[in-house]
Amino acid sequence: MSDFWNPYAALTSGRRRLLGAGSVLAVLLLWGLIAASGLVSATKLPGPWDVLAALAYLGWHEGESMLLTATLWSVGRLFVAGALVVAVGIPIGIVMGAAPRVNAALSPLVDPFRSAPVVALLPILVMWLGIGETMKIAFLFVGAVVYLIPMVRDAIQAVPQSYWIGARDLGATPWECIQRSVVPMAMPRIADAVIVAFSVMWTYITVAEYVNARQGLGQLIQNARRFSAWDQVFAGIIVIIALALATYQSMVWLKRRLYPWETQQ
Amino acid sequence: MSTADQRPESAGSAQEAAKPISVVLRDIVQEYPVVDGGVTRVIDRVSLTFDRPGIAMLLGPSGCGKSTLLQMLGGVRPMGVVTPSSGSVLIDGVECTGPHDDAVMVFQRYANRPDLTVFDNVAFPFRLKLWRSRVPESEWRQRVADMLAAVGLSDKLGLLPAQLSGGQNQRVALARALVLRPRILLMDEPFGALDAQTRDEMQRLLIDLYRSWPCLVVFVTHDVTEALVLGDRVIVLSTQPARVADDFVIDEPRPRPAVWQRSREAQALEERILRQLHQASPGRGQVRVTV
Repeated sequence: MSDFWNPYAALTSGRRRLLGAGSVLAVLLLWGLIAASGLVSATKLPGPWDVLAALAYLGWHEGESMLLTATLWSVGRLFVAGALVVAVGIPIGIVMGAAPRVNAALSPLVDPFRSAPVVALLPILVMWLGIGETMKIAFLFVGAVVYLIPMVRDAIQAVPQSYWIGARDLGATPWECIQRSVVPMAMPRIADAVIVAFSVMWTYITVAEYVNARQGLGQLIQNARRFSAWDQVFAGIIVIIALALATYQSMVWLKRRLYPWETQQ
Repeated sequence: MSTADQRPESAGSAQEAAKPISVVLRDIVQEYPVVDGGVTRVIDRVSLTFDRPGIAMLLGPSGCGKSTLLQMLGGVRPMGVVTPSSGSVLIDGVECTGPHDDAVMVFQRYANRPDLTVFDNVAFPFRLKLWRSRVPESEWRQRVADMLAAVGLSDKLGLLPAQLSGGQNQRVALARALVLRPRILLMDEPFGALDAQTRDEMQRLLIDLYRSWPCLVVFVTHDVTEALVLGDRVIVLSTQPARVADDFVIDEPRPRPAVWQRSREAQALEERILRQLHQASPGRGQVRVTV
């Protein structure tokens, strides 16, 4: 236990997994015990086995998989919005980071939105864009892009000035310095920003799908709630968490593959 | 350390580099605004003339403005402050107001791009519009390969900087600068972060490279021994605001063996520099002497 209070102690991956799985199992066990004891009524807290049964039911019932359909819809919306967030947010962030004048002009428009109640924008978006797909995509887009732009800007500004000076000295035009030195150097942090943006969108997906959704995980949860099918609500939440985690892990993996030099510095 | 000698033409012809050159700093003054609204003067009427190739060592206490002077020679203005505040830099009689391709800098750190291989780091300038239009690809590829051979990194072309030692990284930086065949090479404490043995090796490499490409090297250091080992000329700057405190020539041919470094002549030069530096910065201990 001499390494217990040592933040730099390396754990073997086996031990790390064991500890992680242990705590998840402990929570499941506690949950199961409370549900089985009858202290809380089954209508308020379905047992883990109820949720598992609900997952199976949603996963395959009467020749169709409600869960798969809903997942595909949600993932589709998320990735369409994500593509827009990346296509719009990264260039704006880069320009803001690279040109102090643009940053001075745009940051009062962008920065306050980081702490704005994005959910409160939903009715406004409904008023402007209706209740169709456009509104849902737009909501996810707004929710994530206001995080992405400042993070990309900060990533650009965090690149040591010496890379800019070095390229300039070798004959690069100011734009070439940005394009060939600063942006490539900022890419790992920009990738981090994209990963955060996708995590943010997963937290907003249910909100986006609350209004007039016919498909999607948010709609599935909403629908289950209407019928007090709490086991299905739990199942839906668990699926969203799992998908968000899978998105996060695969993007982190991809980032490490693309920028292996970042951690070697 | 004779890799550079084996390929005398690798860095272009020595005659080409040894062409006359004229670099003049005339009454350079540099001031920076300070928080209370005033200005602080870091460089005070520095005038220097370089009229032939050679290694000029610029010595002075930390923060005395050596690097700022060097950046002026390179025409790089990073801080968003007008540099110089007054005075002028003339290269071959033409006032230098921005980046120019006669001079290339080598920095102490952050020189190499961590995301590019050794080859791509050295080839970096040829991917810029300026050099792309001047040097055809087949030629620059050959030049990069030759230059990497000259610094002894032929077997490391595909490695990333993180896979190299500190000394090897500075070899990459040197190669990237010299592959452009600059008439002026500006070095900002390039070996300052290296251990003593590696610093020795790099100094010998620089001497070899200089022999095959004798350009004007302006070399900033705070290491008195380094100045004596490398310099044709030693310029000592005073502490803030920087003025030229001393400026003398060393005639001894390079490489200068340890015997010379212990000679009475070298000892006298060392004392002369140290005396100037101590006058320049009483009570400051940032001057280094390595033995």
